[in-house]
Amino acid sequence: MGSEGTSTRNLKGLLLIGPPLAVMVCLLLYPAGVSIVQTLQETAADGSVSWSLARYHRFFTDPYSVANYVRTVWTTVVTLILLIAICLPIAIYLHFTRSRMAAVVQALALFPMFVPGIIVAYALIRYIGPNGLLQSLLEVVGFNSYSSPYLTPWGPVIGLVWDHMPLTLLILTAGMAKVSQEAIEAARDVGAGYVVIFHRIILPLMVDSLLVVMALNVISLFGSFVIPYMLGPASPEMMGPYMLRTFSEVRQPDFAAAQAVITFLTCSVFGILYVVMLTRKQDV
Amino acid sequence: MKIRASTIVGSIIMLVLIAYVVMPIATVFLWAFAEKWTYPALLPTEWGLRYWHTTLARADVLSALRLSLALSVTVTLLSAVICLPAAYAFARMEFVGRRTFMMSFLAINAFPRFGLIVMIATLFLSLRLVGTFWGIVLVQLLNTMLIMIWLPSAAFRGVDRRLEEAARDVGAGPVRTFIRITIPQAAPAIGAAMLLTFVSTFYETEGAWLVGAPKLRTMPMVMLQMITGQIVVQYGAVLSVLLWVPSFIALLFARRVLASNQFAKGFGA
Repeated sequence: MGSEGTSTRNLKGLLLIGPPLAVMVCLLLYPAGVSIVQTLQETAADGSVSWSLARYHRFFTDPYSVANYVRTVWTTVVTLILLIAICLPIAIYLHFTRSRMAAVVQALALFPMFVPGIIVAYALIRYIGPNGLLQSLLEVVGFNSYSSPYLTPWGPVIGLVWDHMPLTLLILTAGMAKVSQEAIEAARDVGAGYVVIFHRIILPLMVDSLLVVMALNVISLFGSFVIPYMLGPASPEMMGPYMLRTFSEVRQPDFAAAQAVITFLTCSVFGILYVVMLTRKQDV
Repeated sequence: MKIRASTIVGSIIMLVLIAYVVMPIATVFLWAFAEKWTYPALLPTEWGLRYWHTTLARADVLSALRLSLALSVTVTLLSAVICLPAAYAFARMEFVGRRTFMMSFLAINAFPRFGLIVMIATLFLSLRLVGTFWGIVLVQLLNTMLIMIWLPSAAFRGVDRRLEEAARDVGAGPVRTFIRITIPQAAPAIGAAMLLTFVSTFYETEGAWLVGAPKLRTMPMVMLQMITGQIVVQYGAVLSVLLWVPSFIALLFARRVLASNQFAKGFGA
């Protein structure tokens, strides 16, 4: 190995990573660049091109578009809060418990990873939908005033939490590895209660993992499609279904691209946060 | 007998997860084998396999299945050919910008997927790739790269160098060492990455819809239509069970990789 010159080594490495890099440039950077430029341009009848913010102006003055945008933000925020509220306790429980029950809990919580979104959506329609199995079960125990979240704003939230739980949990359990049993026991010896331990020891160590979970989930939730399309109300709808309808039913690809750019810009803060977290963490 | 606090907490979490995670899937299985199930019965009132025959006899189901399998095989193989050499380079070679390039692949997740797909589809309109097989392949390919680079790269890094050196010492050439020593050690992770890619491509919906529809209809699109547009509940249930069980078994083989820290690290854990 030592006999190889630096430039030969560089060339070999770059040649091997060239193909996926080319794919990324052609299918990510180029389309994104073209879209951003084209949505800012307008072609007049005589073929002359001029710069214009008309499509973005249209989006933000159209009450329906704005309602869809607000609905997407609401769904993203609510889902993210629920995800952390559900996954953080499970991660803490798994970190401190070594038992058969903990193994079962872990398997159950990671199970959604093995189920594609479309099957989850269908399963939830049958389960939580009107006259679904959940309603039948609740009536057996005497609860008769069930109103189904299917086709309400809560439908997508329930489905998206289901879908995003495994990866969130994996990232949080990886983060919990930094919390040592000794530190907790030492704190307990000096009389610290659960709240103090959580607030003073666990939370500070988990900040990084929570930031990654937040960034990754916001980006993924904001642009989700299958689950809101199937479980959510038709109007207002989330950006995913809205973009798809604009593109293939209303047949206005330009306006769909403008919606995509708005999605990009909204997520860009979290995208940057995510990349910063990656560069801080990775030891590749 | 003293019951530990962790047992109580564990039991509560377990019950909630069973009600939330397991029961919906169980419902689908029940529907797939139900001939009649009227509310508020807790179980189907008539059981049977009638809908399996009618679902499988549908022409749209069979052609979509063929298309989806062809797409998944093509995307998986193409992704492997493009990404595996790069994974090896990232793991085992020193070259300028290595870390930055690796980061840039991991950063694919920093982009909202659906927004990106809309942008690609808009570009494909002008390239006349909309409605073509290769258009769908390309839009699905980007998705697969992170896993196909990250997981095998970690595996190549984990290969025991002493074994490679020992093989070289007893006279094996570099190619022979690579094929007999390096590849077998990395094979489980490569296999897991390919399985994951295959299954996730099979169920990829957004890209295939935007670029393929209405000319090309993949399995998830047929399923969506059967779920939202059909009065017969069982079609969707039968298809879900039929397609999900094989993919679940396939993913079980990859579960050690899937549920690992290494996998989570690819997402920034």
